[in-house]
Amino acid sequence: MPMKLICTVKFVPDPDSLTAGPNRLILNPDDACALAFALAVKSGDPGVTVEAVTLGPLSVRPHMEDLLRLAVDRGTLIWDPGLEDSDAFVTSKVLSRYIAGRPCDCVLTGSYSLDGGSAQVPVQIAESLGLDQMPGVIRIDPDRFDPTRAVFQAVDETGVTTWEMAMPGVLSLTRESGYKLPYPALTDLRRDVSEDVNILTSRDLGFSADQVGRASSLTRVAGSSPVTYGEKDPKIVGTDDDGITQVVDFLKKKGVCR
Amino acid sequence: MKQTCIFQDTETPEKTTDLLAAAVRMYGRDGFESHVVLVNASPETFTGRFHHVIQVAEGLVADNDPRAITEILETLHQTHRFDSILIPGTTLGKMIAPRLAWRLKTGLATGVTDITVRDGRIEITRPAGSGTILETILPEGPGPVMMTIRTHAFEHPPEETVPTRISQYSRPVTTRSTLTRLGVEQNIIESRDIRDSEVLVAGGGGAARCFPALKPLADALNGAVAASRKLVDQGIARRHIQVGQSGKTVSPKVYLALGIHGSMQHLAGLRGAVSIIAVNTSLHAPICRLSDMVVQGDACEFIEKLMDKMMCNPHKNT
Ligand SMILES: Cc1cc2nc3c(=O)[nH]c(=O)nc-3n(C[C@H](O)[C@H](O)[C@H](O)COP(=O)(O)OP(=O)(O)OC[C@H]3O[C@@H](n4cnc5c(N)ncnc54)[C@H](O)[C@@H]3O)c2cc1C
Ligand SMILES: Nc1ncnc2c1ncn2[C@@H]1O[C@H](COP(=O)(O)O)[C@@H](O)[C@H]1O
Repeated sequence: MPMKLICTVKFVPDPDSLTAGPNRLILNPDDACALAFALAVKSGDPGVTVEAVTLGPLSVRPHMEDLLRLAVDRGTLIWDPGLEDSDAFVTSKVLSRYIAGRPCDCVLTGSYSLDGGSAQVPVQIAESLGLDQMPGVIRIDPDRFDPTRAVFQAVDETGVTTWEMAMPGVLSLTRESGYKLPYPALTDLRRDVSEDVNILTSRDLGFSADQVGRASSLTRVAGSSPVTYGEKDPKIVGTDDDGITQVVDFLKKKGVCR
Repeated sequence: MKQTCIFQDTETPEKTTDLLAAAVRMYGRDGFESHVVLVNASPETFTGRFHHVIQVAEGLVADNDPRAITEILETLHQTHRFDSILIPGTTLGKMIAPRLAWRLKTGLATGVTDITVRDGRIEITRPAGSGTILETILPEGPGPVMMTIRTHAFEHPPEETVPTRISQYSRPVTTRSTLTRLGVEQNIIESRDIRDSEVLVAGGGGAARCFPALKPLADALNGAVAASRKLVDQGIARRHIQVGQSGKTVSPKVYLALGIHGSMQHLAGLRGAVSIIAVNTSLHAPICRLSDMVVQGDACEFIEKLMDKMMCNPHKNT
């Protein structure tokens, strides 16, 4: 049975272009890896279907079109003004209701999003759908990835662990996996996909206005400030014997060297 | 009296106690009763530190099963009606906390580094935007205040002991995960998450020619190797050990910056570093102003001499 894969994708401000203007968006690096893996599975078995879904403003529509040019079978953009200021909880609620309506064999996500970075959404999608989830995935064994189970490696505090997990399940990749999106074929580059992005509102998914957005969010970002760095008055030493001794003493004082 | 529940740090059990500092910030030293939930640690370490030690019966759940542990915490909340639930920001903690928050229909602040109370409201601080900004989060809604706490963010000094009650949790668990561990490659230093390291030995442009020498030094200090983007872009270091705005935000006790200039983008990842030792040929490098100690000189020569001098206890805890 060819697998049905759903990838959650988020478009985030490009940290490398913050000086060039705040609005340039990129596909969240972890999500790009997840999608790249899904497309690799599809290239090995054309029966596999890959869907990308995002909750985000209509301005990401061209980015979703780019994904359709990469052989993604279906691209869904969920948006309406009522979704603005949704927190992670609401985002998870909306995405998981959408995914619940499209039974699949595996949900592939990023581990973290570069901007929010709360690593909360994939776990809550899994909880809502009654599935297992694993973050930090760096490799999925293509030979042991089917509708019943996945064997994969993930990084944690101790190193790299190989896991087996029943499918359907949620696998959250990290950019350390190094999976790379393919380049679109020349013919695809010219393909007009402007009508092909599937656009839904929260109402289409059966939510009322008070169930989404700020109204039903459970956390609120009250403010943010740029990080500042306190300046210190450092002790200056050289690389002579005395300097090195002082470094060792410092390390001892900090308890990292006995 | 507020009720606070702390889930055990399963990676470093003794660090669990530090989460008490977060509760003290919210409720004051005597304003709360502390409950700690243990899955694979013996209660002795926690006696006298927590008011209530809840030990999950041996064999009831696997200590790496996030779904079963979530169920236990949910059940405990129904009995104790916690005002706050604090979970360490370990891999397991990050797999449990969002599930529990979902079940309890409450908000969750992740990777918390600071907490203040203003006009009676709890304000939670967490780094966002790849470490370049600090967000202030306000919990909304009636549910318990929930957060995952970044490793090393809080320290709780040993103080006078409190009377401790120990109880066992042995109710049958109905939800279990299907995860099976097939194998572990322990301590592959390159893939160990630099965010979890107490000591980081980081190399930049000025340490490019001796980058491999950083690993033995990191090993000797029981730390990990990190790098500036310069070395990543040059293909000398791998991207997942990059510190900074487009890399990782780290919070080590000691950050050794070897031949790192201290560009704004690099410093964006360093906010949580407690102490910095910079080794640089130039005292004008911006990293020097933020350092506790500056070694003026060649990074490669420094590594060699430090290794010779040090009588460290290598491979502690490994
Ligand atoms: C949008 C954006 C995002 C970025 N993100 C990141 C990021 O996440 N992380 C990051 O690190 N950078 C990032 N950068 C790049 C950053 O601006 C700097 O270019 C980079 O950090 C420089 O690395 P460095 O300090 O190692 O090297 P250099 O700038 O080359 O500095 C080398 C330092 O070593 C000293 N030195 C030279 N020789 C020696 C020697 N023999 N011994 C000791 N010291 C010596 C020099 O005095 C100098 O201070 C980003 C840039 C942009 C524009
Ligand atoms: N608005 C969103 N739309 C689609 N996917 C998302 C969205 N927010 C988060 N995700 C997914 O959840 C992962 C972790 O995001 P976060 O919980 O924000 O750190 C991301 O890498 C995405 O795969």
